[in-house]
Order: sequence, then C-alpha cells, then structure tokens
Amino acid sequence: MPLKNLRGRVAFIFTEEDFDVDQIVGVKNIKITDINELAAAAMTSYDPEFATQVKPGDILVGAGNFGYGHPHYPPMRAMRHLGITGVIAESFSPGYWRGEVSMGFPQVSCPGILTLVERWDEIEVDWEAGVVRNLTKGTELPFEPLAAGDEQMLEAGGLVPYLKRTTPMQGERKDH
Amino acid sequence: MGYTITEKILARAAGVPGARAGDELMAKPDFVLAYDFPGYTDVYFKSMKEDFGIDRVAEPERFAIFIDHMVPATTPKEEELHIGTRSWCKENNVPLFERKGIGHQVAAEVGYATPGAFVVHFDGHISQLGTFGTLAIGMRRNVLEAFVREKVSIKVPHTVRVNLSGELTPGVMARDVFHHLVRTMGPSSCRFQVLEIGGPALKTLSTEGLQTITGLAMFTGAITAIVNPDEDRLAYALPRARKQLEPVFSDPDAHYAAVYDIDLNGLEPVLVIPPTPSNTRNLSDYLGLEINTGYLGSCASGRLEDLRIAAQILQGRQVKEGFMLNVIPTSQEIMAAAGREGLISILAEAGAFVSSPSCDYCFGRIATMTDKQRAVSTGTLNVRGRMGSPDSEIYLCNAAVVAAAAIEGQLADPRKYL
Repeated sequence: MPLKNLRGRVAFIFTEEDFDVDQIVGVKNIKITDINELAAAAMTSYDPEFATQVKPGDILVGAGNFGYGHPHYPPMRAMRHLGITGVIAESFSPGYWRGEVSMGFPQVSCPGILTLVERWDEIEVDWEAGVVRNLTKGTELPFEPLAAGDEQMLEAGGLVPYLKRTTPMQGERKDH
Repeated sequence: MGYTITEKILARAAGVPGARAGDELMAKPDFVLAYDFPGYTDVYFKSMKEDFGIDRVAEPERFAIFIDHMVPATTPKEEELHIGTRSWCKENNVPLFERKGIGHQVAAEVGYATPGAFVVHFDGHISQLGTFGTLAIGMRRNVLEAFVREKVSIKVPHTVRVNLSGELTPGVMARDVFHHLVRTMGPSSCRFQVLEIGGPALKTLSTEGLQTITGLAMFTGAITAIVNPDEDRLAYALPRARKQLEPVFSDPDAHYAAVYDIDLNGLEPVLVIPPTPSNTRNLSDYLGLEINTGYLGSCASGRLEDLRIAAQILQGRQVKEGFMLNVIPTSQEIMAAAGREGLISILAEAGAFVSSPSCDYCFGRIATMTDKQRAVSTGTLNVRGRMGSPDSEIYLCNAAVVAAAAIEGQLADPRKYL
C-alpha cells in the first residue's frame, strides 16, 4: 500500500536551526497529557492565532537539524490533533525523526525547502515522484528518499501496527 | 576498501559477510537494555503481552533492565512502576540492576560493554559503551522492535572520523573536549552517522573521559559514538564481558563520510550556555556570573576523575554559604571507590551534599531550581526547564568548574585552585 501524498498549506515555518520542538508547547506544558489542553498551549508563543487558522491537511516546515536536543512527544501530538499531517525540513535530528516516524507521522527531509515555500503556500509531497511541489508558485524540489524501514512504518501507521504486520503473535508462531 | 568497526559489527549481527554504509539490514542485537520509566518500559511490557502474545522473552540473557530513575521513589506511584519492573524481570528471568547506579555506566561495569557487540536501548546516552568498541544505539520507541522480535531493522550508518591530537592541561577535561567538538564541527555534523573517535590523544585520555565524550555523542547529531578499543579499554571490558566475541577494529582504508583533525593543545575550559547543548563558549568570557547551585554527576560525568578533581579543588576549602552543591557519583562502584580514596569525606567536609547514584538530579526530579536560579552542571543537557523552572538556567561545564563555582558562588576558573 503506497503512502498517500500529503497536500495542504504551509501552516508555519520554523526558521531556527537546531530547533527544539519542546518550545512548540513550552517546557512548562510538556507534562500535560490531556490532548485538548496540549493543543490549546501549542504555538501560543509563536502565533496566538495558530489554532484557529490551521486546517486539517496543513504541513509544518523547518530548518536544518530540526528536533535537536531531547525532543518529547507532546508537541507533535498537539500538532496532529490540530490537523497537521507532516513536517518537511531542511534536515532532521535523528532522535526526533525516529520518534515521530514511529508514531506514523510523516517527516520529509528536503534540502532547500526554506527557499521553496512561504507561509500559507499550498504544497504537495509526492512520495512516488520524490518531490515537494509548491502548487501556489508552480515550483518543486526533490526530497531525500525514505529508508525502506521508515517507509514501511509510515505506511503501516506507526511502530506498533508495523510490528504487528511483520511479527506473528507468539501463540501463532508455535503452530508452525 | 576496508570496513569501519561499525560496518563490521552490524555485518556480524545481521549474519552477512559484509555490510556497507547505506545497506538496510535486519540485525540481531547482542543485548537489549532499558531503564524503567513511565510510558516506556511499562508500555512495552503491556504491548508485548497484549499486542504480540509474548508471555516470556526468548533468550532472557540478551536483555537487561536498570532501575536508576526515580531512585529512591518518592511517591507510591513511582514505587508501583518499580514493582511492575521487578516482577516482569522475575517472570522473564531477565537480569535487573537496581540501586547500582546510572544504567549506562553500570552497563559497562557489569559486562554489557562487550567489545564488538551490538547493543540497543531507547535512550541515546547508551552510546558511551562505544568507549569499549561496542556499537550501542538509542532507538527511542523503536526499541520495542527489539523486545518483540529477534532482529531490528537498521540502515548501516556512515561514519565521521575525528582524530584527536595534543594533550589536555590540568583543569581541562573530557567534558571540554566534547563541547569543543560540537563547537568546531557543529551540532549537526554527524547527523544519522556514527562519531568514531581516534587519534594519538586517545592514549592520554582516560577511559572515563572517553565515556564522557562518547556518551554525549547525540549532540553532534550522531546516532552513536565508537572507539577502536586499545589495550587499557579491552583490559577493562574483556574480563567483564557477558559474551565471547572477537573485538573488531576499523580497517586503515575504511571509508569515512568526513574526517576531522582536532588539536587539544591550548584548549581552555569551556561553558555551554543555555538553552541548548550547541552553545559552546569560552569559560573566560563568563567569569563572575552569579551561580546558585552546582550539580556534579550524571551518566556523562560523575566518575572517579570528576570526583578527584572536585575533591582536589575543595580540599581545605568551603562551599560558599547559600550555594547548593550536589555531588552524585555515577555508580555504587564509583562511590565505593571514592570512599576508599577519601574523596567522599573531603567533599562532605567542604559542604557538598553527597548522595547515592540516581538519574534524578540530571532530569530535574530532585533539587529543582525555581525562576531566575542558575546552575553549573555536569549533567547531559541545558534546555529550558531541564532542572526545574523553565525560567532557570543551566550552564554545562566540567567537574572542576563546578567545584570552583561552588567555592565562589560565581563562575570561576578552576585552574587557580589546582
């Protein structure tokens, strides 16, 4: 089952290199588990209107080494709750990348993305063609292909469904 | 073309004759390690049973669990988590190391730093086993894969080679070397790659110092760090090793994605200013900055050489009134050795609060700071809120700088006390 293309607007561009995603909800909110509370806290220090402007399908854009530090899961949980379907960045920090791909949350490493898009441009990630398209401006850029393991995990919708698909239940294994 | 130590270890673990950077393999970890933490181990244990029907792990000797966070427990809920961990380990016959110290250090002490082995954990600081020629990777939640099946999928990483030359002067430590690497190479210089440390300076760096450097590798973007182990490191690791493996080494003509030559001559003590581990500065530019508290410990620093230099500086002196100095040796083995050397009494007499090994000072569960307070710390990280209020500040530095700051209540150059 191939990955479904992402298509939506650029909801926000994090231009800071080595961006610490915990800042999205703020460190003081990192331990909140209620998803509505988390989503309400998200982005308030960057754009107070964010939650009301974002639409399902929107995409985030980041700079180099996005997710550096000790990234936690709540910030992107909040973003998914608000309808964000993926992140495209110049490059990613490995810990963040692994963590979010294991949540089934698409991450796209696309050198040059900051020059390709402006906020609120309509864009598309075409997995098969391997490009990010700026539909507003009519331009495009290739992105770095996913490792097969990452692609399978995203297709499955995250770590647990991926492992379930590829690992028989132990009880079943005994029958073979 | 030759192979890197990383390519050799992964090829063996995957059961293939050779592996090159970029290959995607299924590799069998020699050891699967974890510490108990809410939302991690408790979730894996439940998922193993409910999602995968695993009542008992096969080959329990491949697994080990550490109880090093929330030690001692301060709420019934924390103790409940530990009870769950103890009973899972007992049911599964999996070794459990509790109250022995910080797991990444204890793992080396009890033989999981087997030279040539492939080890996985969810926490990236396990990279410090690389000191002994072990390939140890923090996979975050993906480590569940290693709990539910024999092999994990892995893309063989490229390697960035760093050749260290020169020699450190007194008061300049491995901690400074690592942060100097981040400053020189950049916080994304080794992204998704392995940081391989080599060069003539390795002979003069202590094994403990190398554990500091390899343990912090993630802040260069690396997925782990590794060293071709020399005689001293093999002499430590081989007698303790839990598995008989032939140590492996990078071939002289191995391919590296990049090579850096870094000279340690003339290196001064550095300071990492908040709020990110990428902010390396010269300590000399910040002398005199008021500091309220100091933390000497963590899986990164808090070993004997750190305690020794702090004791040397604090011997016959006093921690400044109102300054809170916490000294937490990294493991029980280290604490006992420090006791035998008399270091613990020197530190206590100087006014340090000395406590048993625990991860809790490093991630801010104990001794948390309030707004506007400032710490010097040998912990792993200085992001906002790591040690308390998001409006407190953490300055990372070596153990000697912590001791000097404790005497003066401000950032000070430790070399005048040596």
